Amino acid sequence: MGILVKKYLACLVLWYFVFSTAAHAAQSVMVVANTGDQSIQLNRQQVRSLFMGGVIPYQLKAVALPPENHTRVLFNTKIIGLTESRIQSYWAQMRFTGRKRAPREFENETSLLQFLLRNVGATGYLPAGMDVPEQLTVIYTIP
Amino acid sequence: MKTANIFALLISLLLPGVAHYAEAEEEDKLKFSGFTRVVLGYLDDKNAEYVGYDNSISFDQQSLLGLQADYTFNDQLSLTGQVIGHTGEQRSSGLEWLYLTYTPSKALRIKLGKQRIPFFNYSDSLDVGFAYPWLTLPQQFYDTAFFSTFEGVLANYEYVFDNWVMNFEGYWGRYDDKIYLASGEIDTQVTGLYGFNTSAAYNNWTFRAAYNEGNANLTLPGAAQFVEVLNQFGFSQSAETLNPDGLIRFYQLSANYENLNYFVRSEVAKMVGESGPVPDIDSFYISAGYNFYPYTLYISYGERDVYYDHPANEIPYGISPDLDVLAATYESVLAGFPDDKSQGTKIGLRWDWRYNLALKGEVTYVHADKVSNDFALKDLGNFDGSAVLYQLGIEWVF
Repeated sequence: MGILVKKYLACLVLWYFVFSTAAHAAQSVMVVANTGDQSIQLNRQQVRSLFMGGVIPYQLKAVALPPENHTRVLFNTKIIGLTESRIQSYWAQMRFTGRKRAPREFENETSLLQFLLRNVGATGYLPAGMDVPEQLTVIYTIP
Repeated sequence: MKTANIFALLISLLLPGVAHYAEAEEEDKLKFSGFTRVVLGYLDDKNAEYVGYDNSISFDQQSLLGLQADYTFNDQLSLTGQVIGHTGEQRSSGLEWLYLTYTPSKALRIKLGKQRIPFFNYSDSLDVGFAYPWLTLPQQFYDTAFFSTFEGVLANYEYVFDNWVMNFEGYWGRYDDKIYLASGEIDTQVTGLYGFNTSAAYNNWTFRAAYNEGNANLTLPGAAQFVEVLNQFGFSQSAETLNPDGLIRFYQLSANYENLNYFVRSEVAKMVGESGPVPDIDSFYISAGYNFYPYTLYISYGERDVYYDHPANEIPYGISPDLDVLAATYESVLAGFPDDKSQGTKIGLRWDWRYNLALKGEVTYVHADKVSNDFALKDLGNFDGSAVLYQLGIEWVF
């Protein structure tokens, strides 16, 4: 009986952990970079600037997820502060006036993470709560 | 030519594979991309024409196809070419951009070649309708700059200070082509063409200020001959008034605000033409929009005031028949430069149906106090000064 209760409680705790992590991940994003300097921390304005093709004090290169991706929607809403359509029209203006190029896009979080691991300076956003390998640095999380 | 352009537009729309190009491998050295717009319009007034539209439904005024090729030599050097096919009569089709870009650092970019002049916020992206919310840009403002490209060098430097993103841009070059007025086209050379602009972005705000100038030489054969005659008679002041060559200056200020839900965009500009046949122009617009993704609802109001110097006639009447003819001719030539004043109010809806395809509908009420027929609004006879333009459009980038 005691064992059953413990198993039940363990399942409950695990379920709670998974559920709360998933729920958290669905609501928040973090910005992760492949950088040797693990002390780098950006503020929101710098992250916004980096992903809109602007200049920041570090040698980082932004990569992104595709427009329909949920993490991207959260990133647009909470950090960039613009709708997807406004972001697309911004990049159309930048591209066809020869100013800036939109960040390279990856199909999903896994392929983006693999790219980050292989390329020094690469910076992307991932769901908060996702396991981040040691060689990557979380440089911004939504407070 | 028009049929060929329209055919090309339809073919491009029917090619499903092209739409996926944006997802292609970005590391390719040669990349192709493009934009197209098909715009349908109808003006509710048979006595006027506005942006080329009259009292019948037409889609050959603003529809266009643009194709761009970028070749990247290395991280610092690339070559870009852009050709545009217009259906409208007031724009020529052909090569709009061809330039080398040298990017020694992420902050500094130098472009050499044929480029668009960055007079105002959207001057270098007029044809990319997908890049702005309106279907037709606020016409009272964007119908101001007569020449749109230059051949020369442009440098852009971006600097971050605290939470301000500052952008400094300057260019220098020349223009040698036609300018297109609603009343006709004029061979034009602009030398000593240069300008600089600064923009500053802070949180949701963006501010911009610009100054541009160029020495314009307009080829007006009739005017040149008449100026010679005036000089022969000693009326140098009148001759100078009709001399089409002179400096043109452009000033611009802009303030924009945008967040997830709303935007406000505004620009104010002044053009000063030093020579008599080039007018001074004051113009501005303000536009506000509400985003409820994937829709954007917007309103806009713009004004333009075009005015010429109107010097008193120094040629006396009643001295001799020759002078009478000269004075009358001079006055009739001056009458060919009438002032123009109009306001445009619009409401529209943009629907971002796909991430690279938007549908737009727009209604514009235009009212003119003075119509010169040199700009977007033309009086075809007995025009009462007010008209409504209805438009539908598709904007696509690929």
